[in-house]
Order: sequence, then C-alpha cells, then structure tokens
Amino acid sequence: MNQITNPGKTDTDPMLRVSNLTHRVNLETDTLTILQGVSLEIKRGESVAIVGRSGSGKTTLLGLLAGLDTPSEGTVELEGAVISQLSEDERAMLRARRVGFVFQSFQLLPALSALENVMLPLELAGMDSPEQRATELLQRVGLAERLAHTPRQLSGGEQQRVAIARAFASDPVVLFADEPTGNLDNRTGQAVSDLLMDLNREQGTTLVMVTHDEHLAARCARQLHIEAGSLTEPLLAQESAD
Amino acid sequence: MAAAKKLMSVTRDWRERDVRVVLVALVIAVATVATIALFASQLQRTLVSSASSFLAADRQLEAENGRPVPEAWMQQARELGLETGRMVEFSTMVFGEAGFQLVSVKAVSDEYPLRGDIEVQAGPSATRDLVSRGPVPGEVWVNPRLLRLLELNIGDTLEVGNLRLEISRLLVREPDGGFRLSSLAPRVMMHVDDVSRTGVIQEGSRVEYIYLFAGADDTLEGYYQWLAPQLEPSHEWEGVRDGETFSRSLERAERFLLLGGSLAVLLAAVAVAVASRQYALAQRDTVALLKTLGLSGRGIGMLYLRRLGLWGLAGTLGGLAIALPLFGLLVSLLSQVLERPVDYQLDPAALVPAILTALVSLFAFAYPPVRRLRQVPAMRVLRAQPGETGREAIPDILLAVFAVFGLVWLYAGELVLVVSLLGGLVLLLAVLALLGWGMIAVLRRVRGGGNAWRLALVGLYRHRRASMAQMAVFAMTLMLASTLVLVRSSLLDDWQAQLPENTPNHFLINIAPDAVQDVEAFWAERSAGLDTVYPMVRGRLTGLNGRPVKEAVSKDERINALNRELNLTWMDELPADNRIVSGQWFRPGQTDGVSVEAELAQRLGLELGDILTFTIGSETVSEPVTSIRTVEWDSMKPNFYMAFPPGGGLQNMPATWITSFYLEADQKLALNDFTRRFPTVSVLEVDHIIERIQQIVRQVTQAIEAILALILAAALVVMAAVISATLRDRQREGALLRTLGGQQALLARSTMLEFALLGFFAGTLGVVAAEAAVYALQAGMFQGTFRWHWQVILPIPLLSAGLLALFGRWQLRPVLSVSPMLLLRRLE
Ligand SMILES: Nc1ncnc2c1ncn2[C@@H]1O[C@H](COP(=O)(O)OP(=O)(O)OP(=O)(O)O)[C@@H](O)[C@H]1O
Ligand SMILES: [Mg+2]
Repeated sequence: MNQITNPGKTDTDPMLRVSNLTHRVNLETDTLTILQGVSLEIKRGESVAIVGRSGSGKTTLLGLLAGLDTPSEGTVELEGAVISQLSEDERAMLRARRVGFVFQSFQLLPALSALENVMLPLELAGMDSPEQRATELLQRVGLAERLAHTPRQLSGGEQQRVAIARAFASDPVVLFADEPTGNLDNRTGQAVSDLLMDLNREQGTTLVMVTHDEHLAARCARQLHIEAGSLTEPLLAQESAD
Repeated sequence: MAAAKKLMSVTRDWRERDVRVVLVALVIAVATVATIALFASQLQRTLVSSASSFLAADRQLEAENGRPVPEAWMQQARELGLETGRMVEFSTMVFGEAGFQLVSVKAVSDEYPLRGDIEVQAGPSATRDLVSRGPVPGEVWVNPRLLRLLELNIGDTLEVGNLRLEISRLLVREPDGGFRLSSLAPRVMMHVDDVSRTGVIQEGSRVEYIYLFAGADDTLEGYYQWLAPQLEPSHEWEGVRDGETFSRSLERAERFLLLGGSLAVLLAAVAVAVASRQYALAQRDTVALLKTLGLSGRGIGMLYLRRLGLWGLAGTLGGLAIALPLFGLLVSLLSQVLERPVDYQLDPAALVPAILTALVSLFAFAYPPVRRLRQVPAMRVLRAQPGETGREAIPDILLAVFAVFGLVWLYAGELVLVVSLLGGLVLLLAVLALLGWGMIAVLRRVRGGGNAWRLALVGLYRHRRASMAQMAVFAMTLMLASTLVLVRSSLLDDWQAQLPENTPNHFLINIAPDAVQDVEAFWAERSAGLDTVYPMVRGRLTGLNGRPVKEAVSKDERINALNRELNLTWMDELPADNRIVSGQWFRPGQTDGVSVEAELAQRLGLELGDILTFTIGSETVSEPVTSIRTVEWDSMKPNFYMAFPPGGGLQNMPATWITSFYLEADQKLALNDFTRRFPTVSVLEVDHIIERIQQIVRQVTQAIEAILALILAAALVVMAAVISATLRDRQREGALLRTLGGQQALLARSTMLEFALLGFFAGTLGVVAAEAAVYALQAGMFQGTFRWHWQVILPIPLLSAGLLALFGRWQLRPVLSVSPMLLLRRLE
C-alpha cells in the first residue's frame, strides 16, 4: 500500500501518467470502442481541462483516470501507483485519501444536511471529529448559514458549492470534476468555477476537469481535446500560457 | 398529449421497479387474505358439521317428561324448510339365546343422523364402515360387547320386548355419543317404527323423546323463537354450542382463524400501503413533467385513478389466480387429515375482504399523495418535495389506517379483536416514536467512522427517516406475526393440556356404596388406576333464599340446569383442576355450606351466603353458598355443579358412586369381565369421543400451521417490499460512498450491522407489542390465562436482527457491486 502515499516523490514526477489507454464496452451484438490509445501525463498541481464534443469519451476517460472503472487495455498511474492493477478496495482507499470529486449533478444525499454531506468522506476515512473540518469548509464556500439545510432546500449553485466543500474535505491531491457547471446558469456557473479554481490554488491540488464551458476551460493551465475517443493534442504537457 | 399518454402507458409502468413492487404486494395481499378467508370458511363449515354431528343434527329438542312433543311442532319445522328426524331412548332388558342383559335402546327414524355418520362393522373382525342412516325396521345394530355378553352372532335374533329383531350389524360409534352421564348400558340401535310393537314403553316408563333439526342458522333461530314460548320445563333445546364438552375448543379454533385472517388483512394492508406510498412519492417528477406538458390537475388525478384501478384489477386477478389453487390444495390436505372427502365449497363472500383490503389500501395510500401533488405548482413540485416532511400526510394516513381497521372489523366482526390489535399497534407506534426520538438524539452524537459499528450507527442516523419508517413496518409486521405465533402456541398448549395422553376414556356410573372397594380392586388388578371416586346424588335446585328458584331468577335467562336433575356430590378436597373464585373451600370438619360452579352461579346471580334449596327425591336440603369455583368441563372427569362437604347436606341421601379412568384399547375386553361381575354398574365408553376430539384438534392444528405459514410468508414479503422500496436510494448512496473511498467489505459489514440493529430494535418492539396484544386477546377472546412467553420474547429480536442482516445483504448486493461510474453517468 506504500505506493499510494509516496512522500519520496518529487514535484516533477507526474501526478497522473496514462499510457495507451483503450476502453471498450460489449454491446449485445458487437463491441464499441469508446477510447482508443490515449496517452498523457499530468503534473502535480497542474490544472487540465478535457474538452470535446458530446459523446467523444470525456466522462469515460475521467472515470478511468479516477479509478472508478478499469480500462480494457493500457495503464493509469496515479502518483506512481498503477491503479488498474489495484483491487476494488485498494482503489477505494486511494480515492478516500488522495482523490476528490465534483459531479455535474452534484450527487448530494437528499436525506442529509449540507454539513452531514460534507462530513461523509471524513467519516468514511475514520476521522474522529469531522464536524469542525466540515463546518470550516462550508464557511469557506460561503454556506456558513446553511449548515442544517438539506439539498432540496438549496439552489443548484448552493448544492454544487456543498459538493465542492465535500470534494476538498479529505485534502485530496487530485480533484476530478465532470462538467461542474453544466447544470448551472452562466452567472452561478461563473461563481462556482471561481470557487473551484480558488480552492484548487489554495490547496495546491491537481485539477482534472471535463467542461463544455470555454471560459472555464481557458482558465485551466492546459486543454486536452478529445475526439471520437482519441486525444488530438500533443502527448506531453506543454508550458501553459499563463 | 401523446407524450403524456406514453409516459403513463401501462407497459412502461411495468418496467418501473416501484410499480412492480406495488403489483407484487397487491397480488400477495389478495392471495393471502383470500386463501385464508376461503379456507377459514371451509374449515368452519367442516368443523361445525363435525361438531353438529355430536348432536347428529344442528339442534336437538329433548323431552324428558316421557311424552312426545305435539306433532304440530315438527310440522312447523318442516314448513320452515328444516330437516327433521326423531329418536326415542329408553332402557330395557333384551334376550338372546344365552341370557338377558339390560341395554340402552336408541330407536331412530330414517333421517337419523342429520349430521355426521354412524360407524359400523359387518362382523367383529370386519373393517369399520361409515354409513349415513340407521337400521331399517326389523333389524337391530348392537354394541360389540353385547354380542359377547349374550354369546350372539351377526344374523342371530335379539328379543326386544315382544319383538324379535335380526342383528344385522355391529354398532361401533354413533355420531351423537353421549357426553352426559345418563345411565348407560350396552347400546342397541333400532328403527323408531318398531318401538310401539315391542310394547316396552308403558305409561310412566322412563323414556326420552329426542327431535333432530338441521338447516340454516337463521331458520333454526326463527324456529326457536316460535317454539320457545311453548316449551315446558322438561323440554330442552340444545345447539352445538351448548354442549358442555369441546365447544370451547371449537370456539377458540374459530377465533384463531378469525385472528389469522385479520392479521392477514393488516399485513396485506401494510404491504400495499408501503409499496403504493413509495410509488406515489416517486411520481413527483412525473407529475411535474405532466404539468409542464400542460395537463390539468383534474386530468392528472383522472390518469392516476385510472391506472391505480387498472393495477387493482390486475393485482386482484393475479392474487385470485394464486389463491384458488392454493385453497384447493389446502382443502385436499384437510380431507387427507380427516380421512374423508370434504366438499369443496367456494364461498364467494370470503373473497370480499381480500379484494376490499387490496383496493382500499392501494387507493388510500397511493392516491392522496398524488392528489396533493397535483395542486402544487410544477416548480415547487420539483423543488420542495412535499410529503417528505410527512406532516401533510398525517390526515391521509390516519384516514387510511381507520379504513384498514374498518376492514378488519368488517372481516372479523369482533370489537375485542380490533381494539386489541389497534391498541397494540398504537402502543407500538407511540413507543417507537419515543424510542426513535431518543435514538436520533443519541446517534446525532456518534460521529466518525473507521469501523463497521460506527459506520452502521452513522448509517442509521443518516437514514433516520427511512430507518424509522422501516422500523415501524418491521415492528408492526413482527408484532402481527408474533401475535399469531403466541396465540397459536398457547392454543395448542391449552388443547394439549385439556386432552393429554391417558385422558380418562371410560366412566363407571351407578356404583353401589358397598361395591366401591371391590370395583377399585378389580381395576387395580388390571393396573388401570381409577381417578377419584365421587358420590353422586341426583337432585333439583328448587329454591333460592326461600323463594322458588324460577321466580327468583331473571325470566330471560333460560337455564338448562334448572330444568333437569343436577349431579350433586360431597368432597373434602377441591379437585386439582377446580379453582375457587370467591369464598372459601370447606374447612376440615365443616359440615354446612355448598360450593357452586362459577358459570351457573353467575347466570343465577348467586352470591356468597345465598341459601339454596335442593329437592332430592322427597326430601329438601337448604344450605348457604360458601364458595364459588370454576370447573374444567372439558377434562373428561366427573364434574359437579354443586359440591357439599362430607357429612353435610347430602348425608343420608341415596348416593351412588361415579369415577372415570383410562383404559388402553387392548384392555377393552376386561370390560366384559367387569360387567359380568358388577352387572349394576354402568360403563360409559367415551374413548371414541376422545379420539374424535383429538382428531379434530389435530386437523385444526394443521390448519393453524398452514395459516401461520401463509402469514409468515406474507410478513417476509412485506419486509422485502419495504427494503426494496429504498433500494434505489441506497444504490446511489452506495456508489457515492465508494467514490468517496468507502471499501466494499466495510460498507457491506456496516450495512449488515445497520440492518441488524434495525431488526433488533424492531424485533424487540414488535414482540413486546405482540405480548400486549396477546394479553388483551387472551383476556377478551380466548379466556386463557396470560403468561409471558420468554421462549418467544428472547429469540425474536435476535432472529429478526439476523434475518434483516441477511435480507439487507442480499437486497443490497447490487448496491455494493454497482460501479461508481453510475454517478458520472447520472443514471438514476
Ligand atoms: N457502458 C456503456 N455502454 C454503452 N455505451 C457507452 C457506455 N459508456 C459510454 N458509452 C458510450 O461511449 C460514448 C462516450 O461516452 P461519454 O459519456 O464518455 O461521452 P462524453 O464525452 O462524456 O459526452 P457528454 O459530453 O455528452 O457527457 C458515448 O457514445 C456513450 O454512449
Ligand atoms: Mg460526459
């Protein structure tokens, strides 16, 4: 398990290294290839936007990068650990300690208050007094007054801010976000993406984000273009424009 | 509106999990309630006809005054459409080649028996046959013992008075075997038309005319209303339920079936209610969508009413499709147990409660939430989640609960039952609310995870609303099921206790005082120990506090005990199965006073200190009531309404002695030696009656087991429905927890623990509420004595914890194995 948290790594080692990733799904009659020979590297602290047309395979790639699914071929290394070779539970442990998620549809548990939703990953990680940390995070995303409210009582933007607080709760080294502003109007989306970028910078997190929002994509250090399951950008990271 | 139609199409419905759960619940509801109701009504008919056959009819009219009743009485009965028959019973000497013997003759008309069968043999070693009518004129059937006593054979002639009759069969058992201790010599059965030609019946002979009636209950009741004013004191009208023995067992069996059926109604209602409410709440988005599509509130209401109606119909038909064959199966089982064919009667009225239960609970629980939704603006439907706080739903739910209890009432017609169950449930919900409130307060403090226990507790808190709802349903289900288990075991225990192995199956009556010791010695030699031997004096109760008893007692009570001679006794020790309810048993040396049986005392309105006057022959005796005691009439031991102390009021009265004892079947021949040595002692053989009762108890027990199994199956389905109702939410949650780093094994363990905790609490609550309900039921319906049932109280919480843990694990398998990708794909 020592590959998962590896303090010996230096900042120049890639956070994520993907080589020759291919993903197929078996349909009733034939096999559909969703991703084909994807290779890429993402550096520690880097922010990357994955962009592309609908149905091009962005979500699939994100899921594979985060270890939510295992690829048909190729490898994904997170901080040097080949996650496609880890067991389901080892991957879960990795996610608990190193990874945060933000979903397009928020995915808050409707029966829980905002506070309890943020506490969830902390409780899973076995933290003893998760309440304080969760409260701080909700204050940080501007929801100090809404701790006891349930998702149904919150607007979409507020729900996504709760989700962002939850994503940062376990101090992840890498944050995955799938269209975090996709369900929000422009202005709210703007506020949410501001928050995401700010927190990302403050915490020094690596950010991998799928988005259709060009402005948001442009705020990331790098954009990966994906088309029909293949990357159309250079394999290696280039120097960012800002 | 094509899109709306599509959205509401029935085939699309079927693909929805919620809908399938509703339909399955409906089918199970109709199937269980219908099967139980059908079977209960069949069993009741079978039992009543079994019991009626103890009278060989539904009712008997006995004339003990030695005179036939007016022919007009029978005429009236036939005009009302009743079946009738008649018998004459008397004792006489009969003569064979080798000697003579005192016998008890029963002369029967062609119609005898109206209910039940006569068991006969063509010869001593022939097989037993059941026949449905008695001997034809010119023939007699005799007890096998008589054949041996007179050294006769089948085909020989027996002289009865002036008449020579041919012995054509052996009489093994008559359906109306006597329970009452009248003098009994070996039985001879002949045709009633031959009686006058025997010339035995003279003016003043001791002879009983007995009339048999059978028909519908209300016709019989109507006839009795007509007849009652004309009856004389020496006339006795007897119904099935007046019989001293066995009627209580029968009544309890009927009540148990009633209870089983009522519990089935409740369980079915809970299953349908949970499923349909879940469905209704899940329809929020569809309703909102329909509104945005421009459908009016009225239109939406109609749409849902129509599809609920459609499912109601489908569920009912499906349920009946299961119930009818199942009923057939049970009936064929029943006839196997009874070893005779049972006529398969499908009582359509028995289907009504099933269908009503399903439909009422479907509409009462599914429609109100939808109706409320349609009044809410589309936007708020999407946002505010009405119904979730549950507060607006309270009137609906109360209404629905009352509707369901109305159904139970309709089904059972027993207020005690409805009140006991409702009381138990209310108590349960109150305790549950309190406990839940406390539990949430405690769980709120539990924070953090790390191990499965803490995660389970956090999980309980996280799902507090669903947990409370599930706990309520589980506890209710467990309460209903354990109520039935408890009542069943106390019922069976009672029966077992009532007719244990070695229940006395023979009575010896009319033992002369100086023969008592010899009789005891005779049986001791044959190692058949006699029970206590009691003296018996026959006398009438004629006076109460100095007034004639019939004036002193209220007119509308018809008390058979006043119309016939009572068996009076004296004893120094209270029989083991009697219990003093007031006053005091005779002190040693006490000679005054009389102890009265409790039921009679109540009906006569007797109190301690009242002076009773008895007429015994030409003498009268007056004694104060010094104690009132209960008597086990079903015990097959001599029982007495009135007991005096030794040396008390009965001293110097002409007494004979009576006792009962157990004789094994292979020792029966000893009876012949006995009657030869003690010709004046009457032997009353009740072994066949006891066999019959034991057989009926077995059959009822089996029925009860079958019904219990059905109910438990229904309970399991309810639990499964409840758990699967939250499956989708849990699936999403499971995916999220795993995305957030929860490990499968840990989640599985904590989920199982969470369910186990839920099951443990629900089991504890359910079993306690069940005890409360059983307490009320015992007091109100079964007249049993209540005791705690530790053997059920202790295991049920553990069992339900284990069961729910497994259930949870099995149901949640897809939750734990679903890929976390689900969240990214937004599949719901
Ligand atoms: N399990 C699966 N079975 C069948 N097809 C799948 C499966 N998973 C993904 N696909 C298909 O693979 C393709 C890529 O899907 P993916 O969700 O990755 O696209 P996307 O780029 O995220 O699109 P969008 O921008 O619309 O979210 C789609 O055509 C999708 O239908
Ligand atoms: Mg996508």
